[in-house]
Amino acid sequence: MPRPRRKGKERFHLLEPEYERPAFEVPETTRETLMDRLVFLYGESKSKECLKEVERLMRVYWAHKSEPMMSWERDFDPAERFTEEDVILITYGDLVHHHTLSPLDTMAYLAKTFLKGTVNTLHILPFFPYSSDRGFAVTDFEQVDPRLGSWEDIEELKGDFRLMFDGVVNHVSSKSRWFSEFRNDHPRYRDFFTVFSTKNALSPEHLAIITRPRPTPVLSEFSTLRGHRWVWTTFSKDQIDLNFKNPEVLLEVLRILLVYVYRGADILRLDAVTYLWSELGTKCVHLAQTHAIIQILRAVLAAVAPVAALITETNVPHAENISYFGNGENEAHMVYNFALPPLVLHAFQTQDATRLTQWAASLSPVSPQATYFNFLDSHDGIGVTPVLDILTPGEINLMALRVLEHGGFISYRREGDGSETPYELNITWFSAVNSEDADEPADIQVKRYLASRSIALVLMGVPGVYLHGLLGSRNDAEAVIHEKETRSINRKVIDADQLMAAMGDESSMTNRISRPYGRMIHKRTLHTAFHPNGPQRVLSLDRRIFALTRTSSDGNEKILAIANVSAETVPLNLDREKTGMDANGFYDLLYKKTYEAPGGSFILTCEPYGVYWLLAQG
Amino acid sequence: MDTVRGPEKGKGVTVISAPRRLDAQQAGSFRAELRELADRGVFRIVADLSQTETIDSSGLGALVSRIAIIRENGGDMRLAGCNEFVTGLLNITHLDQVFTCYPTVEEAMKSFGHPPDPD
Repeated sequence: MPRPRRKGKERFHLLEPEYERPAFEVPETTRETLMDRLVFLYGESKSKECLKEVERLMRVYWAHKSEPMMSWERDFDPAERFTEEDVILITYGDLVHHHTLSPLDTMAYLAKTFLKGTVNTLHILPFFPYSSDRGFAVTDFEQVDPRLGSWEDIEELKGDFRLMFDGVVNHVSSKSRWFSEFRNDHPRYRDFFTVFSTKNALSPEHLAIITRPRPTPVLSEFSTLRGHRWVWTTFSKDQIDLNFKNPEVLLEVLRILLVYVYRGADILRLDAVTYLWSELGTKCVHLAQTHAIIQILRAVLAAVAPVAALITETNVPHAENISYFGNGENEAHMVYNFALPPLVLHAFQTQDATRLTQWAASLSPVSPQATYFNFLDSHDGIGVTPVLDILTPGEINLMALRVLEHGGFISYRREGDGSETPYELNITWFSAVNSEDADEPADIQVKRYLASRSIALVLMGVPGVYLHGLLGSRNDAEAVIHEKETRSINRKVIDADQLMAAMGDESSMTNRISRPYGRMIHKRTLHTAFHPNGPQRVLSLDRRIFALTRTSSDGNEKILAIANVSAETVPLNLDREKTGMDANGFYDLLYKKTYEAPGGSFILTCEPYGVYWLLAQG
Repeated sequence: MDTVRGPEKGKGVTVISAPRRLDAQQAGSFRAELRELADRGVFRIVADLSQTETIDSSGLGALVSRIAIIRENGGDMRLAGCNEFVTGLLNITHLDQVFTCYPTVEEAMKSFGHPPDPD
């Protein structure tokens, strides 16, 4: 029986607040949590005023909730926030260009035409006005970039899809009003940023231990009404870090995130959240204060917007990455499973899934309310930091060199000793697993690609795919040279007419990739064994095979999912001991083939790069 | 020091000359040459770019087309005679972190030091 999901009026907020009905009463437990976290951040005296303002913001948000929404939420089960139906498409708002339609209209048309039944959630990367970094240097958090469309266009998309918005709240553009007012010495904005009067305020000892995601200087110089100042810039001179030590910054960010929720965000992506709080003398990442801020955001959402979810973007070693789940119930609802892309890539490069299997076997359910976001590609590259504690430096280096051989590039970051080490691999996923000058049929490349993608679809969690990944796009190396940015390799703007022609042409690679990939995604959405938190057991069958079993929460559906990461045919002698499945037969969901398995035993001959989703029967 | 210019497995350093324009038209033959060297087990290579005026994305792709297998086998490819344009391109694409570019072929060859022991 299908579970109820929000599909109608319950999904939409009121754009004007309704103050005729009683104001929201903040639950005492929420108030206690908020006060505790605020005191930790700001001390007793400041926190009382701060809490009052947080409560006011919650009441303002609450007034934007419609009656159908509140009625539906009374029966909301947090364990069903994400289900097997959830698949997230990551895209820029203007990644597809049409000569007459606006970018968001184009996206809406294509999404409705091609994505229904496969993807149900759109992550439109920052769609706000910006000055650099393809949207991640926001100048105005509350406007839709007029080059893309309007809030009405976002609402239109909301009619058919769940939406994920970026909260780019670690920093703002140097061209933003907030920073302009800081430079103008406006009293409200004096403490909005982390400011020094000299760059020597950071000693070499301090600098040496600060974790840097970029080789650029952490302090950038700006002229202001009060003279020259050096401000904290984790990512670039155009991206000015916000100073969360100032409670007003936290309140302003909270206000904006709640605006996003009533504007349609089902999921809030906390961009670069690792760097939210800095303390000299520390690495300036993952600080307890950063976790406290996330806990505040979570507590607010839990009280007033319990269906909305937080996802943290923390491109860091796996153990640190999953720390953003908190205790499983008080921080992120989802974390990007950053170790997955490099480990899947490593498996296909080496035709050996041993490392991937070992790591996947270590994943455990977080809580009924939290899960992993399983992606292989995004607008950024394939981060290698997340596998620093999983692969050896030699393995990472070789993986990076193989990416170069496939036409990709390597981005570096500066270490404390001044050396530069690989940070991410810039390449499209298709080019990462397939070599352009390989002497092999296109069919093999398609199979290899689909086998790699299948792994993210079967693993415990919610799968995501970047638009270029859905289409099997190749590298755009010309753009790298033209734009002087290695990340441009997988950000090519696609012509809508050409895309539709390619989708309709059975001989095109776009068609040959996207059709079977779409069918695979659709199959996933139909089976409760693929519920994000359905139990998972990773199997060690053969070094060339990645295999696991998934079971629905009621235990009624069991699927054995297998992918051959090698170009070799691999015969598998399977039995109950190896699979842990009490079945007398299996039905392949992808190829509609039945395997007899008397007593649970059968032989599966895995073709090169073969994928098998075997539903247990009997 | 043995500085053999011709390809010989396991010994010396092999010099491969890039064309004046290492672009989509020329990159294929350069890539094929590199592939042939690697297939023959030649992994100590200097790419002579002293005559190369310009490189495009295809040319860059050719330059790195065998870098993993070369390094995996204990070898290296080093560049010589990069002009300002090529140096800028390597910088933009971060390939300056992968390749060392020497002023001359001779210096690039010398940088390899002694040849490895025979197989």
